[in-house]
Amino acid sequence: MRALTANRLDDGEAVFWKGGRWVERFVEAQLFEGSEDAENAEAAAKSQQTVVVDPYLIDVIPAGDVWAPLSYRERVRCLGPTNHPMHGKQAEGGHDIDALVHAEGAARSTGRVNLIKRK
Amino acid sequence: MYRYDTIDKEFVADRAAEFREQVQRRLAGEITEDQFKPIRLMNGLYLQLHAYMLRIAIPYGALTSKKLRKLAYVAQTYDKGYGHFTTRTNLQLHWIKLKDAPAILDHLAEVEMHAMQTSGNCIRNVTADPYAGATADELDDPRVWAETVRQWSTLHPEFSFLPRKFKIAVTAAAKDRTATKIYDIGLHLRRGRGGELGFEVLVGGGLGRTPHIGSTIREFLPTRHLLSYMEAILRVYNRHGRRDNIFKARIKILVASLGAEEFARQVEEEWAKGDPARIDLPDTELARIRAAFAQTYDTLPARSEALEAAKAADPAFARFVRRNVHPHKQPGYALVDVSLKVPGQTPGDMTSEQMELVAGLAERYSLDEVRVTYQQNLLLPHVKLDDVETVWRELDAAGLATPNIDLITDIIACPGLDYCALANARAIPIAQHIAERFAEPERAEAVGELNIKISGCINACGHHHVGHIGILGVDKKGEEFYQLTLGGTADDNAALGSMLGPALPAAKVAEAVEQMVEVYLRERQDGERFVDTFRRTGVAPFKEAVYADAH
Repeated sequence: MRALTANRLDDGEAVFWKGGRWVERFVEAQLFEGSEDAENAEAAAKSQQTVVVDPYLIDVIPAGDVWAPLSYRERVRCLGPTNHPMHGKQAEGGHDIDALVHAEGAARSTGRVNLIKRK
Repeated sequence: MYRYDTIDKEFVADRAAEFREQVQRRLAGEITEDQFKPIRLMNGLYLQLHAYMLRIAIPYGALTSKKLRKLAYVAQTYDKGYGHFTTRTNLQLHWIKLKDAPAILDHLAEVEMHAMQTSGNCIRNVTADPYAGATADELDDPRVWAETVRQWSTLHPEFSFLPRKFKIAVTAAAKDRTATKIYDIGLHLRRGRGGELGFEVLVGGGLGRTPHIGSTIREFLPTRHLLSYMEAILRVYNRHGRRDNIFKARIKILVASLGAEEFARQVEEEWAKGDPARIDLPDTELARIRAAFAQTYDTLPARSEALEAAKAADPAFARFVRRNVHPHKQPGYALVDVSLKVPGQTPGDMTSEQMELVAGLAERYSLDEVRVTYQQNLLLPHVKLDDVETVWRELDAAGLATPNIDLITDIIACPGLDYCALANARAIPIAQHIAERFAEPERAEAVGELNIKISGCINACGHHHVGHIGILGVDKKGEEFYQLTLGGTADDNAALGSMLGPALPAAKVAEAVEQMVEVYLRERQDGERFVDTFRRTGVAPFKEAVYADAH
């Protein structure tokens, strides 16, 4: 399962693709089962140059009753810095945030799909 | 303190106006991200995990109350009310919006500040001894030379697209408080046989993926030739640096591959070709720069009875004086460290309120000067001994008087994976966990000088290679692990640490540090520091303590 993420151009906020628009909370992100849908969305996102910067697909895994990004780096993007729990998206709280905070089984640097581009 | 002349003011204002237009064009879609990215980086604006990060240049770590107040205002208005001082004596704001960046640059320009050359393959913000102008152990004020380098290197057309970034540090004191040996160019002021002042020039120091300690390529360069000789170094580097491979593009790789002797020969050859008079500053200009740093002091007795009485009455104040107060060249004055290392807090972070407070203290008690140290602390360089207790009380009330300079809780840590797009692992929580174990001031003081330096990736912003205990975050099969090195130093006898053993999981790092401290306390002789004991005993007892249960 995959999700599509980017940083919003005007403020840098981490955002997630949801049917052609961008949402701030990971729990609202659209999840892609098939790679074709995911890649089509990624291509569409890349054309939104005045909205987001550097869209990319990430792997997600089940974490309790929600989904979580596979990589720890992506979880930090979904939550905020761990040294300031009141900064970033985590400050809003909620069940989805708690689930992400306590999600286990992170692979820290491999969450980004196609990070290494082979010729 | 140096004040901008008309040229400085104009180009900083021009650059801010230019960037405003570039941001508007990017937001309107007139230029692509690929076109815009190098432009924003030239203005210190990075895109990180949660937002944009603005890295503001603080040349040679020198601030006035006006500048610090402006930083407080910018952090309060455009960020979340705090900033992070770095090992390059810059300030990073981690929650910046692109749309606000032009307004921020305008604010900075008002107080003669900017964010140029805090990124990109150019000559970066120059650093100098934070004790400059205030310590008796210096031959000259290094800020004169750091400012000379700043003026020469700012927007230098020939050196704006070097093979890789380039960092210069200057010290004029016997004790190196600037880590010059890990800089691309480290300048040490020396006195020649005839009494003339000159620089020992070190080249090719640096950390990162391939750490090197700088090599001396000239024992004595008369100060008046500083710029022409620097130009020769940069020209040799610009010509032969490895532009084909980012991992081999720093000057340290060129110096290592050619050998310091051959590199020096090429620099001398290049220097001989030029006309030093074309570029070296005339004495009148040097005198103008020098005059900007002159301070006038009151004539005071060397001993303050008020200070001595306060020390005798309050052990906590006495400890602060022992750790955070240092001798000044002028009788009756002292340098006072402002610690940004409260155990359990983020190393180097400072709130806007704290910046305001320190700005006020500088104005009232430190001849309007504040310095940033590469250890991520601040310094009030000119405090009267009679005022130290008052300053301490105000700092203490604001959480800025932790008596821990150079102690185990005075930890350097980069922002790591909590903020940085390059990081593999977090650095801040590791620092917090270690510091909490030694939070009791008596315990930290009993351990003595011990520099812990933590980086969240191999780029080594946290200087882990030169920590007495260095900690490097790595990604090991999907988990945060930490490689420990021992025996590094960034001082006059700079050395790279050596590996302790296999990387440790995050939960084991603070415990390992505690185990190694116990070994040190058991083994130490005659007032040895941790690093001295390590160098005498070797790694074996430390390794045994940390990995014993794995045997």
